[in-house]
Amino acid sequence: MSTEHEVTMEERQPPTLEELKARQARTRQNVGQDIEVLTVSMGPQHPSTHGVYQAVLDLDGEIIVDCRPGIGNLHRGLEKLCENRTYHQIIPMTDRLDYNSSFAMNHGFCEAAEKLMGVEVPPRAQYIRTMAHELSRLANHILWLGVHIMDLGTQTFFCICFRDREYVLDLFEMLTGARLTHSFARIGGVAKDLPDGFEEKCRKVVEFLPKRVAEYERIIKNNRIYYKRAKNVGIFTSEDCYAWRVTGPPLRAAGVVRDLRKDEPYAAYADMDFKVAVEYNADVYDRFLVRMTEIRESCKIIGQCLDNLPDGPYISKDSAFVLPRKKNVMLDAGAMIQDFYHVFNGPDAPKGEVYRAIEVPKGEMGVYIRSEGGGKPARVRFTTPSFYHGQALPPMAQGEMLADAVAIFASIDVVLGDCDR
Amino acid sequence: MSVAEIMEARFGSRLLETTTFRDDLTYSIAPDDWREVLEFCKESPDLAFDMLDCLIGDHLPERMEAPLQVVVHLVSHTYGHRLRIKVALPEGKTLRSLTDLWPSSNWDEREAWEMYGIYFTRHPHLRRLLTTDDFEGHPMRKDFPLQGTIGGPIRTKLKGKI
Amino acid sequence: MSGLVFPNFDGAPSVSKAQMLSGEALRNASDQDVLATMGGAVRLPGGIALPVQIERVLGFGRSFSYWPLLFGLACCAIEMMALGGSRFDMSRFGMEAMRASPRQADGMIVAGWCTTKMAPRVVRLYEQIPDPKWVLAMGSCAISGNIWDTYGVVQGVDSLIPVDVYVPGCPPRPEALWQGLEMIREKIKKSSHAYDGLRRIPARDALELEGAE
Repeated sequence: MSTEHEVTMEERQPPTLEELKARQARTRQNVGQDIEVLTVSMGPQHPSTHGVYQAVLDLDGEIIVDCRPGIGNLHRGLEKLCENRTYHQIIPMTDRLDYNSSFAMNHGFCEAAEKLMGVEVPPRAQYIRTMAHELSRLANHILWLGVHIMDLGTQTFFCICFRDREYVLDLFEMLTGARLTHSFARIGGVAKDLPDGFEEKCRKVVEFLPKRVAEYERIIKNNRIYYKRAKNVGIFTSEDCYAWRVTGPPLRAAGVVRDLRKDEPYAAYADMDFKVAVEYNADVYDRFLVRMTEIRESCKIIGQCLDNLPDGPYISKDSAFVLPRKKNVMLDAGAMIQDFYHVFNGPDAPKGEVYRAIEVPKGEMGVYIRSEGGGKPARVRFTTPSFYHGQALPPMAQGEMLADAVAIFASIDVVLGDCDR
Repeated sequence: MSVAEIMEARFGSRLLETTTFRDDLTYSIAPDDWREVLEFCKESPDLAFDMLDCLIGDHLPERMEAPLQVVVHLVSHTYGHRLRIKVALPEGKTLRSLTDLWPSSNWDEREAWEMYGIYFTRHPHLRRLLTTDDFEGHPMRKDFPLQGTIGGPIRTKLKGKI
Repeated sequence: MSGLVFPNFDGAPSVSKAQMLSGEALRNASDQDVLATMGGAVRLPGGIALPVQIERVLGFGRSFSYWPLLFGLACCAIEMMALGGSRFDMSRFGMEAMRASPRQADGMIVAGWCTTKMAPRVVRLYEQIPDPKWVLAMGSCAISGNIWDTYGVVQGVDSLIPVDVYVPGCPPRPEALWQGLEMIREKIKKSSHAYDGLRRIPARDALELEGAE
């Protein structure tokens, strides 16, 4: 028995919306009336390592009749805490939102705060931010792949992915000082400049990761077992995605060419040349393909950032909103006063409200900040993708089998720190 | 026609306040116009706001006559434009749920109820989402203490649960 | 049953509080005291006593096969998974089999902040783990709640369950977690627990106080 699957000609044509809906109806099993259901709590502690998400399932045999998610097992009250902290103090807290891609969260918050305060970020900082954002995309997608395949039953792939992720984390450690929770973005730029030897190491990693992706695809893409478990499972059409606010790879797997890096460019993405990863079958298999393409495109973007990195400051000099550099603080009285003011009072944000959405690895994250003036915001809301993806599990999983629900939940990439805030 | 033109042509003076701070088009409306405005935003072919980005609750205690607020962000995938709609609510005023227009507002509304006490009528099941089931109070309100009302390190009652 | 003869577990630790060391006594205990709690020597039928205490033998065996409950809550879980990955590899020490069911586990690595909603579940899972068990609080959030001093977070998981080893960090590097696990292994070898003979846990003590109010 070969493990290869021949992709047929019919499968190569992108399906229409009606065809996707027909496939959805075919794969979802209808349950009759008057059946006795077994209520099972795929409880907060379960081995699908997505965190503490509780899915109370009503099962008729293996078929899911109803799914009622319970979240809040990781709720910290981060938004209330943000109202009592200055803008600079909020940045490390955003790290712990989606901890697989911490820099992306920092970046999102800083983009919104800079929009509010009207801070101009220098070009070098934009490029460094773009590069770090794409590195966090790599870290997130490689981790996602390992965990997704582990949910489907293997352990080896998890170890392979974690080995490759270590290279990316080494780069982060060189750049930011931390493996996981970076707190690298600052309002007005980034925390520090690129260290010596970073460019060389980064190029090496970015050169060999696409070969790794080719290996992952070789192992998984035509694998008969993965094909059977992922093809036509969890079909969520573009209409469903809009209705349930599902964004990012699941939306792009449904055929929608929507990527905020292209549609509403931020940082240095307007200067980058990359393609948006789109697939058309809207199932678990296609979400895998989208993420693999995104890894390749991220490697391309990082290469371009390194090639075209401009010179200049790595943080804005706007003293009303930006923390001064530490060496100036030690030597110059004006900078010391500025530092004192920012640490104790926070930046002098104007009165108003802003909303800024960026394309984080999991989807679209929006940050809403309402400010009444002063150093602390009056209301911060993080519209994180995992919150809505967690909500979208019931419509995706209804009528599917229990084992498929595990695969679907893995493919929509929910992280509970992101979801519960 | 831009979003602003279409909205002003349709609603005119019912858009109580218009702002474009940092290029974000924002309209304030009265709570009674809530349903009509949002339905128009979704159904109108020129606006086509097919995705509700988020529904955010807010508390402004300094505004005594209408301390609560709901802010809604809309996105259109066909045209690529965005809109923000705000509504100021006095205590006890309820809004109609948006779950029949955009199902993703389900959890947003539950969170707004849980955190601020803003009630949404015709919501399928408006109950607590993020805090414990026996939690009392609406934590994101400005008068609720950050450390909560139950003291000590455990911050919750364990009676009956373990 | 009369045909079977077992070695005499004379003096093996029973539930009697007197024999177990905990708290202050544990911190001040000398090696002799610890040995005394391990009970007498292994006695084979026929009166032969092996020159080793039963608990020592069991402790030595257990320390190479500590299988924690898969209990990653938040960011620290990612570093715990990295410890299970190929670079840091806890499999060479026998720990990679993280059990999903508490009944099969030897302990818990609480990785991440414990919320008020999750607190009863943490206690329940801890109580479902059979004896002997050791708990490692990983990361500042599990030790003390870290920066999340809010209505939703338990300020340190040791207000709920007894913790043996604390590993600070946010998140601690896999090597730091490994050092913590080495300390757990030393404790396993000595069969020294954070709980006492009565198996009291802080959550139940707090529950009693709640009931009294």
